[in-house]
Amino acid sequence: MSKEASNPESWLTDHGDYLFRYAQSRLRNEEQASDMVQETLLAAWRGWERFSGNSSVRTWLVGILKHKITDLIRKEIRNRRLAEAVESDPTSSLFSADGRWIEAPTSWKENPEDLCESDQFQKTLQGCIDKLPEKQQIVFRMREISGEDTESICKTAEITSTHLHVLIHRARLALRTCLDHHWFGGNRHS
Amino acid sequence: MNHFCREASQLQSDELERKLTLMERIQLRMHLLLCGACRNYADNLQLLNSFFHNLRKQTEKDESITLPDHDRERIKEALKKASGS
Repeated sequence: MSKEASNPESWLTDHGDYLFRYAQSRLRNEEQASDMVQETLLAAWRGWERFSGNSSVRTWLVGILKHKITDLIRKEIRNRRLAEAVESDPTSSLFSADGRWIEAPTSWKENPEDLCESDQFQKTLQGCIDKLPEKQQIVFRMREISGEDTESICKTAEITSTHLHVLIHRARLALRTCLDHHWFGGNRHS
Repeated sequence: MNHFCREASQLQSDELERKLTLMERIQLRMHLLLCGACRNYADNLQLLNSFFHNLRKQTEKDESITLPDHDRERIKEALKKASGS
């Protein structure tokens, strides 16, 4: 391995922004995200001899970062366990006793590419996600923002896949309603 | 009479997460044929799903998000200390 390649300061220069983006999109907290970058680079430096060279340095660093983020999220979920005992179920307010929609969903006319371009939409969306109960927020973000698979989310959140699917379903229902009121509905009426 | 919309909404979300059983698929498809509201819900979920998919691709490339300078300096110091240079 070249001396250059094992220089942690050059990792910071070459991959610091990428790692930060990766962490920031998953944690949405600048301070935590940059702490994760620091811990990752330090761990990489300490474990340099374990780097096999089969993958790129970036892939290796992202692998370390991913573990660090998972650990952090797991700790947060554990710390909040008590407060999370009661999880809200939006289905009772969205469906009548006989199982019908109280307010029937209407079709949304926009396309996903345009929505991705819209900062305003992303703000509205974040606002809606922030309103979800904490555990739903955490697993929903892992699922949709980070794109983690069921297995890894269940491991991190220490829940069964059935429980995860219920949480994701509830989050989607609540999010749909929130976006309908604050974005799509607003457009419909204007 | 009991309506299937509540169950259908769970199945539609589940379909994005796991393979539905044959029975679940039949129940859901049958219901969607008859229920416009649930078809709209399906469209809404589809739109959100594509949106998040695009968003994930976009964030990794978004170069406007960078490590703040003071953090970069702090990390540089920490690395210097650790590597003893």
